Amino acid sequence: MIFALPTLAEPRHFSLAEKLLFLALAAASVWGFWRRFGVVLEKILEAKKDAGFHLFPIGRRGREFLWEVMCQAKVIRQRPLPGLAHAFVFWAFCAFALVTLNHCATILGIGFLDPDGFAGRCYFYFAAVFALACAVGILGLFVRRFLARPRWLGEKLSWESGLIALLIFALMATYLAAFFVSDKNPAAKALWWAHTLTLLAFLPVIPHTKHLHLVLSPVTVFLSRGGFSRIPPLSGDEDFGLVAGKDLTQLVSLQAYSCVECGRCTEHCPANNTGKRLNPKQIVLGLRGYLNEFGPSSDEPLLGKYNSQQAVFECTTCGACEFQCPVGIEHVPILVGLRRGAVNTGAWDDPHGAKLFLALERGSNALGFPLAERDRFIEKNALPLYDGTQEYCLWLGCMGGYDPKGREIILSLVRVMQHLGVTFGVLRKEKCTGDPVRRLGNDLLFQQLAESNMEALKQSKTKKIISICPHCVRTIQEDWKEYGTPPEIEHHSEFLARYADRLPQQQSREKIVFHDPCYLGRYRNVYDEPRAVVSLAGKLVEAPRHRERSFCCGAGGGLAFLGEETGERVSHNRAAELASTGASIVGAACPFCNTMFRDALAAQGAGAPQLLDIAQLAARTLPQDNST
Amino acid sequence: MRVLVILEERGGHISRTSWEAATAALRLAPMQEITAVVIGAQTELPAAEAAAKAFGKVIRVEHPLLAPYTSDGYCAALHQLIQQEGPTQVVFPHTYQVRDYAPALACRSGQALIGDVIEIADGPVFTRQLMQGRLNGSYRHAGNGPCFVSVQAGAFRAELPDAAAATPIETFTPAIDAAQIRTRPGEPFRGSAQTVDLGSAQWIVSVGRGIREAENLPLVQELATALGAELAASRPICDNGWLPMERQVGSSGQSVAPRLYLAVGISGAIQHLVGMKGSQCIVAINKDPDAPIFEVADYGIVGDLFEVVPALTEAVKAAKQ
Amino acid sequence: MKIIVAIKQVPERDAQVHIDSSGQWIEEANLQYAMNEPDAYALEEALQLKEKAGGEVIVISTGPERVSQTIREALAKGADRAIHVVCDDLAARDALGVARLLAAAIQPESPDLLLTGLQSEDLGLGQTGVIVAELLGLPHASLILQVEIIAKEGSKAQIKARRELEEGWFQSIELPSPAVLTIQSGGNKLRYATLMGIKRAKTKEVRTVHAADLGVSAAPAVALEAITLPKKQKSTQILNGSAEEAAAALVEKLKFEARVL
Ligand SMILES: Cc1cc2nc3c(=O)[nH]c(=O)nc-3n(C[C@H](O)[C@H](O)[C@H](O)COP(=O)(O)OP(=O)(O)OC[C@H]3O[C@@H](n4cnc5c(N)ncnc54)[C@H](O)[C@@H]3O)c2cc1C
Ligand code: SF4
Ligand code: SF4
Repeated sequence: MIFALPTLAEPRHFSLAEKLLFLALAAASVWGFWRRFGVVLEKILEAKKDAGFHLFPIGRRGREFLWEVMCQAKVIRQRPLPGLAHAFVFWAFCAFALVTLNHCATILGIGFLDPDGFAGRCYFYFAAVFALACAVGILGLFVRRFLARPRWLGEKLSWESGLIALLIFALMATYLAAFFVSDKNPAAKALWWAHTLTLLAFLPVIPHTKHLHLVLSPVTVFLSRGGFSRIPPLSGDEDFGLVAGKDLTQLVSLQAYSCVECGRCTEHCPANNTGKRLNPKQIVLGLRGYLNEFGPSSDEPLLGKYNSQQAVFECTTCGACEFQCPVGIEHVPILVGLRRGAVNTGAWDDPHGAKLFLALERGSNALGFPLAERDRFIEKNALPLYDGTQEYCLWLGCMGGYDPKGREIILSLVRVMQHLGVTFGVLRKEKCTGDPVRRLGNDLLFQQLAESNMEALKQSKTKKIISICPHCVRTIQEDWKEYGTPPEIEHHSEFLARYADRLPQQQSREKIVFHDPCYLGRYRNVYDEPRAVVSLAGKLVEAPRHRERSFCCGAGGGLAFLGEETGERVSHNRAAELASTGASIVGAACPFCNTMFRDALAAQGAGAPQLLDIAQLAARTLPQDNST
Repeated sequence: MRVLVILEERGGHISRTSWEAATAALRLAPMQEITAVVIGAQTELPAAEAAAKAFGKVIRVEHPLLAPYTSDGYCAALHQLIQQEGPTQVVFPHTYQVRDYAPALACRSGQALIGDVIEIADGPVFTRQLMQGRLNGSYRHAGNGPCFVSVQAGAFRAELPDAAAATPIETFTPAIDAAQIRTRPGEPFRGSAQTVDLGSAQWIVSVGRGIREAENLPLVQELATALGAELAASRPICDNGWLPMERQVGSSGQSVAPRLYLAVGISGAIQHLVGMKGSQCIVAINKDPDAPIFEVADYGIVGDLFEVVPALTEAVKAAKQ
Repeated sequence: MKIIVAIKQVPERDAQVHIDSSGQWIEEANLQYAMNEPDAYALEEALQLKEKAGGEVIVISTGPERVSQTIREALAKGADRAIHVVCDDLAARDALGVARLLAAAIQPESPDLLLTGLQSEDLGLGQTGVIVAELLGLPHASLILQVEIIAKEGSKAQIKARRELEEGWFQSIELPSPAVLTIQSGGNKLRYATLMGIKRAKTKEVRTVHAADLGVSAAPAVALEAITLPKKQKSTQILNGSAEEAAAALVEKLKFEARVL
């Protein structure tokens, strides 16, 4: 039976001239590759070492590599069709590695896969399956890029992409065609040469185009800093963040050269989608352009020719870009790094920003209220003070302490905790966690706030904190680590979900759409807990963009404090989407989302859904509540 | 006791805060031991005004170089007067002008001014605010010369007995040389009037979404006019283009700190509050008794703005006549 | 132009102040401190003058050891050097006593311009600058929002300043250098402190002078007897009745209680 199947034609005899020609071409091809690749590699290696980078433990790296590179999980999950097409191309390349090696070895008479032998035959068929899938995949991608043309791939048609698609297709076609000729037939040799020439042409194209990612991205993924959007520590007295080329680290440079220009980051970027100047892909490519022109030891400012300060300060640090990026580029640390460079040197001159910084230099909260206002709130509502004996220290945060809406969330949570008999207390000496200044790149102020808070927590012997604000949670748990050991902290959604079975279930079938806060979802990986709470109070419905792909409310990254946005308001974009689900309630889990949507939903006009935090939803299920 | 009270003129009359300072001086000495001092280049009219009260006497400190006001001129003149009169206390109203020269004047006698006093108890013990009003401090004079005191506006209610018989008026002519006056003050002027300058406005009427339609804005405009106030708004009003952006109060608009902020149909969202929380007196008109704006307000009226605002406009007009 | 800025360290605006056991001062143990805000404006004005016209900005501050932190902050914002008048009994001195310390320390520097904040956020005396001017025999102007150098001849300069008067009025005032100006908050935009500034400040000169070595009297002319908590607490008064009644009641309150009409 098996003999009825076609066999791969492999020419057996090559003249000396052919051999010499092959060797010469191969050498030229490798030289063409190295001529560019060597330069790139040199720039990456010449860049400054990353502070706080550890290769070990290697297990995480291995797992991420397997999942993201070998399984192409992210590529497929976030864009299923093109993702799958890409995955087939990738897997075909993997399968082809052996075929290609053998192919070249044949001319030198040292081929190791015998087309007639059992193993060889099996392997060639195996590769042929991938070659077929790859050819279909590449055709599909070609159609998408040149005919469908989604916006995020950019305005200009890329001839490079066309050329590469052609080369890949030719590689696969010449391979597959060889199954249909006999090895005696001169066509076999023609196919062999066609395949070889395509291959040798392909190699030097790689480092000159975005297909450099073929080589770099597996390394990038493997070496990623780890921990979503983690802001690296500054190193030494002369490090103020990303000011000039000399501040670019090896990882940042590697990432800059790895970008495959797929535009996924831009596709999901809330700033870019609402008419701002910021384009995360261009930020990365800007750094690449900078490295190409000025190199990694230059004093030329990074914010200038290739990237603009305005764009960098339009980022909400939502992390959608970083989450999407298939090649492991960490945008948020880059964007925050550029902000650090501008703020730590005083180059950023923004009236709203300066006001925020001064409010926190002189006072305790980002809103600039006197602390007495917070004390009044605590006294009026008889909130117990934390004395070290209660189970939780209830962190109010700026919004919980001063914002009328944030206070309502706190009071709802307090009711639920009291109903559950869980003890808690609040602190008198609480300051802003430093979230907005951290994301805006003010390291001096952030350090002062983190240290002063950690000192107060230590004095009050706090062991466990609960907070209604995902920004507080993230900042306390992750960012404070740079300056000490923060206590354990939990977001109220996690707490409420844990106690969900002790809270009454409401029979209401009211539709509630839940908005995933960036700092709870992507940053903390908490998706199911708030949904469990929502389900207590009504019927959960999902917005088109939800969970990992949730769309930002526009408040993060300090932007809530920076005055009017240009273009459409991010919050309005999202509010319209949430309202379009037909839900009668929008469930939120972050006081910043809450403040943005309160305003944006009101602008939707009459009939807009009601806005409630999950704590308020949970409180609604309690008996004798008629407040909402 | 011999008390000197330095009176100030404002708009052709002795100012209210001066009368208040004179009333405060009554805590230190009976009326006949208090000497009222008027100072300037021409002091006849204020002297007559002061003489209508039952002061022990009135002194006109007069010299051509005392107009316009300069610290150098006032210090020289009053120091000579103090040397002549040898008072136990010198009392001032705590005005910007007094703050400019009284510390130097006190220093010239080797004393320190007890400034911005809100209460005077037996002793005498003077109370003034510390830590932006969070604490009170009580002070005693410990020096061996006259005690200098300035009195906060509004801390005492002006109540002075009228003179039964004619109060003696003396004139004191200080020796001042033009070379002693080192500063050259210019004419007073108003802050830029043509552009909207909410930041330095003293009275603001601010309107929110409760106004419902642009057509209703004249209602609040009238109230603003009656009060002599600037018109401001919350963001939705400016978003709709009903009022220009530069009239928006809040985190993405202007920060204001007027003496009076009157919020009409504004709920009091945090972004709005941060822009106006520094106002001296906040009034809210809102139909929702639970609106957060009432949390920060000093006075509130729960009611329909379409009824309350016209009534208020009338009341203000009546009060201003 | 040589500009000296006198700055004061005060308890942070949000510090929780408690009266100490003597009843005469506040507990200092757990307090956090900051630069007095009007002084920050004075410093900003000085830095801007220097950026425009060149020269040197020197900050001077008196107080105990902890004051050096605020001095660092001023150096971080751009001052060139500093003088720290170490004095552990500042609270026991009156405005005249403090001004004497400053004047004695400033005199040998003979600055062209001395700026101070209008008043401090803790004691709120608002006198120091004016008294220092008197002690040094210099002309002064208070409540200044903006400063301009209009003429310069050798080391002599003519200064023009914008002065705030009451109720929305302003005035410009001219005076010859050397002079003293007390600066009102809000005339400028403050700059925020930066990491780079703090790092650079480490190498700047801070000269310490001890109060005892300045040979000035510490005997106060005014003595603080006690500090107490004020009675009143802010609360909202809701005015009831018909629209007309409420409106009339409001006007009455605004006129006679709040006194803002
Ligand atoms: C990033 C960001 C920045 C922002 N910046 C600003 C800013 O700078 N300034 C600003 O103001 N807002 C700002 N906002 C918007 C803010 O969150 C609120 O949405 C806005 O202040 C609400 O305005 P409002 O109070 O007029 O309207 P609403 O909140 O709709 O309140 C209307 C009020 O009018 C009352 N009312 C209705 N009818 C009557 C009647 N007949 N008589 C009496 N009362 C009546 C209602 O009870 C209600 O309290 C910002 C929001 C965001 C997210
Ligand atoms: S973090 Fe969010 S806002 Fe910032 S660039 Fe990425 S996607 Fe855009
Ligand atoms: S940064 Fe990542 S997601 Fe963005 S274009 Fe480059 S490869 Fe794609």
